Amino acid sequence: MNTRHIQMLILTIVLCAISGLMACASDVGSRAPSNRLLVIGYDREPDLMNRFSTHILEDIHSCVIEGLTTTDENMNVIPVLATDVPTLDNGGVILRDDGGMDVTWRLRPNVTWHDGKPFTSADVKFTVEALNDPEYNPESTDGFDRIESVDTPDSLTAVVHYREIYAPYAIQFFRGTFPKHVLEGRDIDRATDYNRNPLGTGPYRVAEWRTGEYILLERVPNYWRGSEYPKIDRLMFKFVTNTNTRINQLRSGEVHVVALVPWDKARELRDIEGIALNRMVGNSYEHVTLNQREFPPFRDVRLRQALVHALDRELIVNTILDGLAPVIHGPIQPPSWAFTDDVRHYEYDPARAAALLDEAGWRDSDGDAIRDRDGEPLTFTLITQAGFAIRENVAQTMQRQFRDVGVDMQIRLIDGTAISSFWFQGDFEAMLHWWHMPADPEITLFFAKDRMPPAGRNINYIENDRLTDLLYASDRTVDLAARRELLQDAQRLLAELVPEIPLYNVTRLDAVPSNLVNFRGNPTNTGIFWNVHEWEIR
Amino acid sequence: MLQYVARRALQAVPLLFVISILVFTLIHAAPGGPLEVYLANPNVRPEDIERLRVALGLDRPLTEQYLAWLKGFVVGEWGYSFTDGRPVLDRLLERLPATLELIASAVVVAGLVALPLGVLGALRKGGWIDLTTTVVSFAGISLPVFWVGLLLQLIFAVALGWLPSSGRTSYGDGTLPDRLSHLIMPAIVLAAVHAAAWSRFLRSSMGTEVRKRFILVARARGLNERSVVWRHALRNALLPFVTVLMMDAAIMITGAVITESVFAWPGLGSLFTEALARRDYTVLMAFLMMTSTAVVFLNLAADVLYHALDPRVRVR
Amino acid sequence: MRSLEGKRATWVAGAVLLVLAAAAAAAPLLTPYLPDGIDLANRRAAPSLSHLFGTDELGRDVLTRTLFGARISLVIGLLAAAVTAMVGVTIGAVSGYVHGWIDNVLMRLTDAMLSVPRLPLLMIAAAIFEPSVSMLILLIGLVGWMETARIVRAEFLSLKERTYVEAARAVGMQPARVVVRHLLPAAAPAAVVAATLAVGRAILLESAMSFFGVGVQPPQPSLGNMLYQAQTTMSTEPWLAFFPGAFIFLTVLTVYVVGADLGARDLR
Repeated sequence: MNTRHIQMLILTIVLCAISGLMACASDVGSRAPSNRLLVIGYDREPDLMNRFSTHILEDIHSCVIEGLTTTDENMNVIPVLATDVPTLDNGGVILRDDGGMDVTWRLRPNVTWHDGKPFTSADVKFTVEALNDPEYNPESTDGFDRIESVDTPDSLTAVVHYREIYAPYAIQFFRGTFPKHVLEGRDIDRATDYNRNPLGTGPYRVAEWRTGEYILLERVPNYWRGSEYPKIDRLMFKFVTNTNTRINQLRSGEVHVVALVPWDKARELRDIEGIALNRMVGNSYEHVTLNQREFPPFRDVRLRQALVHALDRELIVNTILDGLAPVIHGPIQPPSWAFTDDVRHYEYDPARAAALLDEAGWRDSDGDAIRDRDGEPLTFTLITQAGFAIRENVAQTMQRQFRDVGVDMQIRLIDGTAISSFWFQGDFEAMLHWWHMPADPEITLFFAKDRMPPAGRNINYIENDRLTDLLYASDRTVDLAARRELLQDAQRLLAELVPEIPLYNVTRLDAVPSNLVNFRGNPTNTGIFWNVHEWEIR
Repeated sequence: MLQYVARRALQAVPLLFVISILVFTLIHAAPGGPLEVYLANPNVRPEDIERLRVALGLDRPLTEQYLAWLKGFVVGEWGYSFTDGRPVLDRLLERLPATLELIASAVVVAGLVALPLGVLGALRKGGWIDLTTTVVSFAGISLPVFWVGLLLQLIFAVALGWLPSSGRTSYGDGTLPDRLSHLIMPAIVLAAVHAAAWSRFLRSSMGTEVRKRFILVARARGLNERSVVWRHALRNALLPFVTVLMMDAAIMITGAVITESVFAWPGLGSLFTEALARRDYTVLMAFLMMTSTAVVFLNLAADVLYHALDPRVRVR
Repeated sequence: MRSLEGKRATWVAGAVLLVLAAAAAAAPLLTPYLPDGIDLANRRAAPSLSHLFGTDELGRDVLTRTLFGARISLVIGLLAAAVTAMVGVTIGAVSGYVHGWIDNVLMRLTDAMLSVPRLPLLMIAAAIFEPSVSMLILLIGLVGWMETARIVRAEFLSLKERTYVEAARAVGMQPARVVVRHLLPAAAPAAVVAATLAVGRAILLESAMSFFGVGVQPPQPSLGNMLYQAQTTMSTEPWLAFFPGAFIFLTVLTVYVVGADLGARDLR
């Protein structure tokens, strides 16, 4: 029997494979970040580059399309294409007697679209009309549907007439505007040319979009801030959905920037030369929603308070999150101008938790280590997103800590898309999650009694008249100081009511090259690229 | 034979029709829908959701939606993606080359490894090659793809820096070496599971064949050993192997999903994952109909091949 | 162990499999820790004398979790493979022996099942059923039988034209007896390979299901969800991935060796 030949064959194949590997190896080499090219490892491919239609965070979009305003790293609203932010004080905002308001936007002169056409107030007016056109289907028409009309007294002034008072008016146009001369009279939903390669005024334009692979942006020659901007010639956003792969790419030098590094991955990057981890307290917060409709015992504030006392949140953040995100005590986060820490804090105190539970009538009468009342055990199910290691670990730790005070919490993992339909229908007892919070500190949507689904996101199903009044009053107040006062009262009241268990701040970790200057980050969903024109490798 | 092929091809039509109903029901029964992604943004209000539901035609009864889809599908209008508003066919076709490239490489690699190893394993049971390959192939079977993929990345991309960790090219179309270097790891990972399984099947059926009487007789007659093994035994042994091969090739189209995700490979698998998470019904339907058609015809090809390899098998 | 087939190998493999299964079954007696014994002060500890396999992200003993996880995974793997084999062999045998429309219908059913990818199928199951181990077994078993069915059918098609089968028929043997006495034993080796491979696949499929929230729910460990969790820590705490992986590997390998021997024995 001649097996020698076959053995030789196998050896040859193996040798070929190895030599092929070596040959290819020479072609690869980690490229250092430079002002010629910066590579960003991005967690998903955008659906569209149209900022009004897309449903993803607009990191890439904001390099191409600029808003009239944006929010900076301190969550202040700053002007971009507008000369300043209209306020009551500077006369840009006028409250009308009929309950409406007028906002006057003054546009920066000498701004041109990438095709050289001037950017004017007609584009602002067109944008409002396009968004209110029932034929077009943007992601959201929030705010725009309260606009009655737009006047354009001259090419650099747009006066927006609102039917009612709208407090977050200053970021109404943070997504920019449509170029009227490109989109007028067209079906924007099907305007693939614009939707995939939009005309903007920003420092970059789309050079190439290779589906499933990357979007390459190149600098525009005559950016309005001056031809010295932007400093970096090309930005390549590589789509790498797998988090572990993305981190591996960062470690091997194939990508230079990764936004939102998971906390449990940070330690892998600490000792990598040339990578700086930028940590920034964010505008979102992880919390446990307690659904009072599905699990009526949650209506008792003593039970809710007991649950918070039962949790050692400091221990959780210091271990599972490696101390990278701080414990918080309410829905409005430290970076916001409306934030106050002068609210009731619930320390880890199992004895206090037990006392509160006793008081509420929950006692272990049958000796199974789980409290009960009227024959019903204190058992509820927590849902959370599957495939999210940190959440699974936090959930299991909470389960243990609740168990120590006689509360039984079951865990059920649900896939990322399905979980949205669960909360939208209020079909759960407790949920571990966070919201993307808007830059404006409006929280009416989450806590007002008439904002339960489908009218809003009050999925705690909390009904509190005073809270509702406070929140609506804050929405109708344009004066900042007065609005802050109302929102701080609301925060204090929320801490007393604990409709949900606040856990920790969703603190951003952004990995960037250590020789990148002028990286300033951003705590909101504005994303880190809002000042990309200043970025520079030194 | 021709008649048989024609009849089977004709049978494919009602079969695909049934599959389309099945698949349509399934994807619509999955919790969540195309509008769920919008819920993450607090600026999207219930009014917006309702507006989009009507605009996308998702408010209509399911049967009506299905019939509308079927009508379009038959005449080649496969609709527009819910994700980016582009024609579904465009989205599928631009991903096809990458997937074919990956699957073809994986099949070749797996075949090249499995064929000699399977045969050799059967002929030399207990030899060092048999022993090593048995153990290695079981490692391939018992470790998950995401796990093996990440391990290779850590070794060859992060630690050694020999190979790029993911993607199809470094930039643009890339040079040939650049493309090959990107292809190596995903192809090996995708091939590993199948090579392991294939060599097992082949080893088993070869083992049966070489013990059979007619082989013994052939040997006894003094026929050339190589001819006995390759011409007689292998031919019979290939029969079940072909089934597995055809089926696996079809499975790879959807089975490459995890490999494509780990290696950020821009193929149909990534598109499928994305469309599934987004519940992009039009893309999912088109994709599933494409893979179903592929499966149906690959299985037909398998049946035809049986006949070619073993004329004793009657096809009707 | 010179050969992986033959009496000695089978005995060794059988013994190893038995030890693994016994260790899993006797898990509570073998380890002083609890599978959900969280100890945050002692997390990510490397293997040591007090924790032979180290500890995980929550400070739980990995050896304990591996043994408890193996209980569930072995049950899922073996039973789901049994379901796969039963359904696959039945459909393949009927299809391969009985010509005509039954064959046609069964094979088209197989085609249809093959063309529906498992992922959406499993996800929908998640929506309809409450996750439970018996549901997992049934589901994993029912999505995997097609390969076995086609293999068995192919074997039958080729075998039943052979002289000895035709001879058996010619002497008036009952069809059922022909199938049981001649065809099934001859198709057994390939079917057994498929079945033994199915054990490993079932264990791994459970890990993929964790991703969709249909798998074994935390804090209960399974080898699959342990491996799934371990991918994040692969470069920092490799032992989290190694031990459950090694357990699966040994299980699949020994099941195969024993299975292959049984399959081959029937033929003789």
